[in-house]
Amino acid sequence: MDLLDVNNLAVRIADKPILTDVSLSVSAGEIVGLLGPNGAGKSTTIAAMLGLLPRQQGTVAVLGQDPARAPFTIYRNIGVLPEQNGLYDWMSGEDYLAFFAALHGLSPESAMIAARLGAVGLSPRRGQRIGTYSRGMRQRLGLARALIGAPRLLVLDEPTNGLDPRGRHEVHALLRDLAAQGTGILMCTHLLDDVERLCRRVVVIADGRTRAEGTIPDLVARSEGASRYRLRLAAPPPSLAAVRGVGRIRQEGETWMIELEPGAAAETVWPELFGRGWKIVEIRDEGRGLESFYLSLTGLPERKAA
Amino acid sequence: MTPATLIARKEAGELLFSLRGLAWLLALCAALSSFTLLLVGSTELSLLDNAQVVCDMAGLITVLASLLALIVGIDATAGERERGSLVPLLLIPTPRRMILLGKLGGILIAWIAMFLLSIPYLWAVGSTGQNLAEGVALVAILGTPVVLTFGFLGMALGSWMPSARACLMTGMIALAVSASPLVIGPSLRQSAIGRIFDAINPLSGTVNAYDAVIIDGKPIIAQWPGLVLALAWLAIVLASAVAAFDRLSR
Repeated sequence: MDLLDVNNLAVRIADKPILTDVSLSVSAGEIVGLLGPNGAGKSTTIAAMLGLLPRQQGTVAVLGQDPARAPFTIYRNIGVLPEQNGLYDWMSGEDYLAFFAALHGLSPESAMIAARLGAVGLSPRRGQRIGTYSRGMRQRLGLARALIGAPRLLVLDEPTNGLDPRGRHEVHALLRDLAAQGTGILMCTHLLDDVERLCRRVVVIADGRTRAEGTIPDLVARSEGASRYRLRLAAPPPSLAAVRGVGRIRQEGETWMIELEPGAAAETVWPELFGRGWKIVEIRDEGRGLESFYLSLTGLPERKAA
Repeated sequence: MTPATLIARKEAGELLFSLRGLAWLLALCAALSSFTLLLVGSTELSLLDNAQVVCDMAGLITVLASLLALIVGIDATAGERERGSLVPLLLIPTPRRMILLGKLGGILIAWIAMFLLSIPYLWAVGSTGQNLAEGVALVAILGTPVVLTFGFLGMALGSWMPSARACLMTGMIALAVSASPLVIGPSLRQSAIGRIFDAINPLSGTVNAYDAVIIDGKPIIAQWPGLVLALAWLAIVLASAVAAFDRLSR
């Protein structure tokens, strides 16, 4: 049985259709990525499937139950990290978790608060006021709150938002461990790297409806995305866009991610690139990744830069 | 401890331990201190009758506490929603009404804190006469439903309206309209509209009762119509807050 099963979900807010046809599912032990551009309806989908927004159409089953009819059974067995993760700045991290544990009817010991704080790397700061926490620490505390009550399903909206690379790595490891123990995880994020590292399946929402759903290899194989290469140059190139066959360009620190135009062959692009006299340190084939698929699916306009 | 009690304690903590709550209490104390200083320090005002001074102070405490209760009520709903801390509360395995009960309890605790804070100010202006006990008793008995009415109004507005700022503006207008009979002249209050407004306005009903008991020496028990009016408003606003909180989405 799926832990989460959403079918043909439609939601209107102030008579405006926000979601028209969203379907997704999460099974036990599975991490599913929920992707979509800003305003696509990801957070609305999460709110509607948790029963925080009324739906006009479709069915939602969380742990086999409709959240509109049996919210408390569901809330006792799920953990949620909302997009806007507000905390009580005047409480300590430990008191904050104890407060939510008590609201779940659990003592700090039975809620394993010390273990939860340790799992998100907050043990050394557990007694300090939340107001003194950094953004990443606040995000970790929100994640620890979502873990109270050993939830069978986790719904995480941008879980690695604000985390440094080490923090991201630790959260990835934690989520993998949880999934290995049978927890189903729905992860809404804009970080495709997180999705590629963690998720088995991906659901893409755009314009209020599910546009694609499947495993990452399947989706990438289905895509008509362009070949991607990562270039590292000794100095910024005057104009990569002037190179024939080069399509989309994105600078990432000291490297440039380029996509070849449809039909362009690498064999014809490289000679022109080398002919410019730029000192190229490295070229790495990134293949046709999730990003290409995502961009082609969500219809973002082609943009030339550099 | 029940979820409602836990949430009420949290709301009280928000007022007493957060910088925001402490700033509000400090502002309340500053306003009461200024008024007290005026009443006891100004040569002309110090000549006022002790009963008049206690009555004015009781009215001021009721209005300022109503304002603070309104802010606390808005903050408990719209404020929490804007800070992103409301959704985790709505996702606890507890009926919505228990969460609301906890937040209403928080407003009651906030009023008790404000009432305790105001007693020294009443004492400062009324200790030289015979009206201090009456003033304290009247604020406790007749002031409580009025202050809670504005606190619950803040919660209802915070659940209905999209932004805390819009709630605050609406609530302030409601409070200003309620307090207007206190600032408009007696001739306007004697007009037909003024009398009708006085008759249905819980704040002016309460202040009139303060006046009747402290200045005119009438018995407190005779002020039951003012108390009934305030309780009726409290019931109406509470029902609105319950309905609005039930429909609160995210």
